[in-house]
Amino acid sequence: MVMSLLDSRAKHPFEFQAAYYPPIYAGIKAHTLGELMEGIKRVDGYSIFYHVFHPVFSSHVVPYDLHNDFAVWIRDELHDNSLAYLVSDVEGREPRTVEQVRESLLEVLRRGSPELKGGKPFLFLTCRPVVYDTGRRAWTLGEFIDILSEISMRSVVYHLVFGRAMGYSPRNDFSSWLLQEFNAVSLADRISSIDPQTYVEEERLREDLLDAIEEEIYRD
Amino acid sequence: MIEKFVPIVGEDAVDSVFKIAEKLRGISVLHVNSTPKGGGVAEILSKLVPLMREVGINAEWKVIRGDEEFFKVTKSFHNALQNGTGQLQGNSFETYKKWQEINLSELPLDYDVVFIHDPQPAGLVTQRKKGKWIWRCHIDISNPFPPVWEFLRGYVERYDSVIVSSPVFGRDDLSVPQFVIPPSIDPLSVKNKEISRFTVERILRKFGLDLDRPIVTQVSRFDRAKDPVGVIRAFAGMKKHVDGQLVYLGSPATDDPEGEEVYKETLKAAEGIKDVHLLLLPPDSDLEVNAFQRGADVVMQKSIKEGFGLTVSEALWKGKPVIGGNTGGIPLQVIHGHTGFLVSTPEEATHYLIYLLRNRDIRERMGKMGREHVRNNFLTIRELRDYLMTILLTKGRT
Repeated sequence: MVMSLLDSRAKHPFEFQAAYYPPIYAGIKAHTLGELMEGIKRVDGYSIFYHVFHPVFSSHVVPYDLHNDFAVWIRDELHDNSLAYLVSDVEGREPRTVEQVRESLLEVLRRGSPELKGGKPFLFLTCRPVVYDTGRRAWTLGEFIDILSEISMRSVVYHLVFGRAMGYSPRNDFSSWLLQEFNAVSLADRISSIDPQTYVEEERLREDLLDAIEEEIYRD
Repeated sequence: MIEKFVPIVGEDAVDSVFKIAEKLRGISVLHVNSTPKGGGVAEILSKLVPLMREVGINAEWKVIRGDEEFFKVTKSFHNALQNGTGQLQGNSFETYKKWQEINLSELPLDYDVVFIHDPQPAGLVTQRKKGKWIWRCHIDISNPFPPVWEFLRGYVERYDSVIVSSPVFGRDDLSVPQFVIPPSIDPLSVKNKEISRFTVERILRKFGLDLDRPIVTQVSRFDRAKDPVGVIRAFAGMKKHVDGQLVYLGSPATDDPEGEEVYKETLKAAEGIKDVHLLLLPPDSDLEVNAFQRGADVVMQKSIKEGFGLTVSEALWKGKPVIGGNTGGIPLQVIHGHTGFLVSTPEEATHYLIYLLRNRDIRERMGKMGREHVRNNFLTIRELRDYLMTILLTKGRT
């Protein structure tokens, strides 16, 4: 459908930025499930982003079978496996923001016993993004795919997840650009349908993102 | 120099450092600590300061002065902060303050950003004039002896931000932002670079090691926090099952007056146990450290208290599984069952020593995972980037 767009030149290029998210201790520790819930209510949105979406980076170590820090703590310290899996699979798909993820987490956690106590406490971290310009620009859909396939995942996650998850924009940056420049509705929707919360390997996310784009472009 | 990291961590990681540093080009940064050699802090600064300069920051490093009494006091602070108990002499706080004043009269502190490392020079903040001040705490302050922490906290609250090595060390009673920055190792240094098997064997032979039998190594100061006596006990337990050798390699630091005493305790604990090699080498014995870590089958860091325990990352980088104490920053490096094993007692350490020494394939698999873990998280380039980002965020420039 959009194959013909591969070499069409956009009016405005896609400007690839990238970001790191240095962790900052949030000053809150949770020893029980109840305290974890209180902490989740109190922390800022960056903290939810850090614990739920940041594990996509390979530098943020979580076991392959759990998708976020809360789930890991619930399984390893509270030993409530079924609750851990529910927390692990909380939906983070567009257009949900950290505020909606926070609500979903609390809704799931209400099923557990607040008195449940862990060995080591859960330590809440927050973060602030440090954004930099990679200098890479895509003027066509073809260039966009080429750059996406090799640029740092710091850039991919920044554009695909950060702004949307923090509520700064309703859509991810990639979809917004594709819509604005090429009116590529189905391609934009396909990218939006990827839930980054369920990824703990950054290269897997890149691969699925590119596969989805290819499928949409070369369909029929 | 920084370009040499490209083959190790990739172009993107190195490029990000230059891009972030561009936002800080030309600013002046001072690092202050208490010892020019020996121990992790001096080692980190000897790498970090030249790298900061290379990316356009006017970075300098100065070391405070003190007499024996001052360093006894700061060592007692160090122990009290890490162990939660302490015995302070009546005039400790006065001695500390006196040497802060002396150093304040000698050190120019007029920089855009001042990093003060650890408690020894923390009191310099009282005379801050311009710039942002950041206290970089390398030790475990999660359960401090209250009188010492309250004394120190009075200084720490005057900083613009604090850096701790692990989230575990975060304090709930500080109002300043606490950044979490684990320290790092330099893969290009003499201590961590690739060296040939011939060099490793030459050094092991020089110190009387038998190359045909397994070797267990712990590299750390003769400090009770590193539990050298526990290491001897763990080895003695292992020795009943596996005919191995132990190398405990320490190096004295100028700010650690207890080292000799602990060395003697360790020597006594090792009496009658065969194949224990207690080595006290000069602080610049980096090639020997490299060789003993590479020559080991298993590396230990059986600390009871630890700031971070960089020797763990050094060993993991060399593809060795590590048996580490479940304390401080060690659990960030030793992922239990993946890059090594976490232990709390000598008996647990004995158990995993036997297990690892009997299973070469497990050692190799863990070694590979350990090296990747260090590549992703504990190399100098990452720490440099974290420092730059902390400056940016502290200055409110993002």
